[in-house]
Amino acid sequence: MSFLRAGYLACPPCIWRVFELMQSVVEFDNVGLRYGTGAETLTDLSFTLYPGSFYFLTGASGAGKTSLLKLLYLAHRPSRGAIRMFGHDAITLPRDRLPGFRRRIGVVFQDFRLVPHLSTFDNIALPLRIAGIQEKDLRSPVTEMLDWIGLTERADARPATLSGGEQQRVAIARAVIGRPEMLVADEPTGNVDPEMARRLLQLFAALNKLGTTVVVATHDIHLLQEIEGAQMMRLDKGRLSDPTGSLRHPPRPLVLKN
Amino acid sequence: MLLDFALPAHDRKLIPEGRLSGPMPWVIAIMLFLTLLIAAMGLSLAYAIRNGGDDLAQQATVQIIEPDPIERATQKVAVSRVLRELPEIADVNSVPDGEVRNLLKPWLGNDVIDADIPVPALIDIRFKKAPDGATIRALKRRLEPVAPKIRIDSHSSWMAPFFDLMSSLIFLTFAIFLLLLIATSAVVILAVRSTLNTHRGTIEIMHMMGGTDLQAARLFQRRVALDALLGGVVGFGAAAAVILTLGGRIAAVEPALLADASLPWYGWLILAIIPLAVMGLAMLMARWTVVSALKKML
Ligand SMILES: Nc1ncnc2c1ncn2[C@@H]1O[C@H](COP(=O)(O)OP(=O)(O)OP(=O)(O)O)[C@@H](O)[C@H]1O
Ligand SMILES: [Mg+2]
Repeated sequence: MSFLRAGYLACPPCIWRVFELMQSVVEFDNVGLRYGTGAETLTDLSFTLYPGSFYFLTGASGAGKTSLLKLLYLAHRPSRGAIRMFGHDAITLPRDRLPGFRRRIGVVFQDFRLVPHLSTFDNIALPLRIAGIQEKDLRSPVTEMLDWIGLTERADARPATLSGGEQQRVAIARAVIGRPEMLVADEPTGNVDPEMARRLLQLFAALNKLGTTVVVATHDIHLLQEIEGAQMMRLDKGRLSDPTGSLRHPPRPLVLKN
Repeated sequence: MLLDFALPAHDRKLIPEGRLSGPMPWVIAIMLFLTLLIAAMGLSLAYAIRNGGDDLAQQATVQIIEPDPIERATQKVAVSRVLRELPEIADVNSVPDGEVRNLLKPWLGNDVIDADIPVPALIDIRFKKAPDGATIRALKRRLEPVAPKIRIDSHSSWMAPFFDLMSSLIFLTFAIFLLLLIATSAVVILAVRSTLNTHRGTIEIMHMMGGTDLQAARLFQRRVALDALLGGVVGFGAAAAVILTLGGRIAAVEPALLADASLPWYGWLILAIIPLAVMGLAMLMARWTVVSALKKML
């Protein structure tokens, strides 16, 4: 999957990557989140996400999965607690440094959030364009990505003319095209058939093998079997019911690639 | 920074191009059309008053109302000589009696004029600069020894009500112009808000993908500027067409009282600046609106 290499354009030298792999990607310490004045939606979250690991986040509807992911992709600040991300304190990070961090995170939104007036191609190319990648350098990765998600014929279509599953594939393609250091996906296989779900999960796995930390929120317990070595986090009414890591699979040993 | 048109091609693709965002360009065009017409009217009037007005205000007519024709002719020559020697007077034009009779014919009828009815002797004079009442009175005193029954009418005195009307009109035009400009700005501000609402989703998505505030503001500003530019061009074009047509009609009007009511070159310059200023305002507003909307997001 050479399109994933587009991200290498902005990749630091290998030595730096090895150093990075030794530290955590995300650390939550006693994090709480409260919308407005209501009760806490997320309570006492403490966990660590390691580089190159694959996490499933499950929980009943309304348990707070999307809320937790919003903290991960820096759309919200927590009401209390500490969050470290890529070795920096994410709470005190000045606002003008957030874009740089966001470019290291790929997001598949639960409601896709494709840009309605842009074609499939332009939607997928969006993160690369925002990052300032030249037009000649983004054509081939985007084309290859379109091929992988099976939407080459629909490259010029607007999102409104795509089926729900097709939109979801575009949303996923957009999230992974920049080869982010962390991928956060909210119900990424909710609208596709099992065959396509497996295929998309392979995409995540491939990205994961290249070093990306993947967090997938899902209701679909069948997906959990698909990724060997994946770890499971379970949210129950805003609390992590298994924060210590007595996870479904034993934690994968830290592998230094390159 | 303000006129950021030269976005790289791939940046332009972040917000869709080539579609007009609703009625904004047309409303701006209409508002600008009215604003420019009013501005042109005010400018032309002011220009006409300053040029033609100055000219008229410098002129006066000296009448010698002496019944005895011989005495009248002698006095006319003497007065003319005195006037020509005065330094404040630029031009002395003694109107021949025949011409005076011709001027009076329409009022008195041919028969009466042909009879030996006395008509005043007329001398048109032009001052170097517009005289005030004191100057006229001083001139009268100066001429009375030569011609006791003399009258001096400065044109500015009988033109005064006309000039008063004109200055009121210019003032009114200026007030309407200001009001229209305010309304145009309000339209621009509302249009910017509505464009932001149309693209809010896109801007939020760009924001979540690590787009900077400046990136979003630039794109949006460009979009709004193009709309304002289109409105400006249409509005200016329509106004220019009307002004040129009207200008031609006015030039054809007799008497030449309105002949100077055409737009001077710097008038066109001022008219051209107005749409540009509105466009600048639109871009500033766009930038400010986007940046303040984004500031509310983390
Ligand atoms: N912006 C918000 N303002 C107020 N309350 C919110 C907001 N977003 C979510 N909530 C509430 O927080 C709780 C958790 O919502 P969240 O979307 O995180 O659940 P979820 O686990 O993703 O559910 P689902 O599986 O249905 O997507 C819900 O009770 C929801 O009503
Ligand atoms: Mg959710």
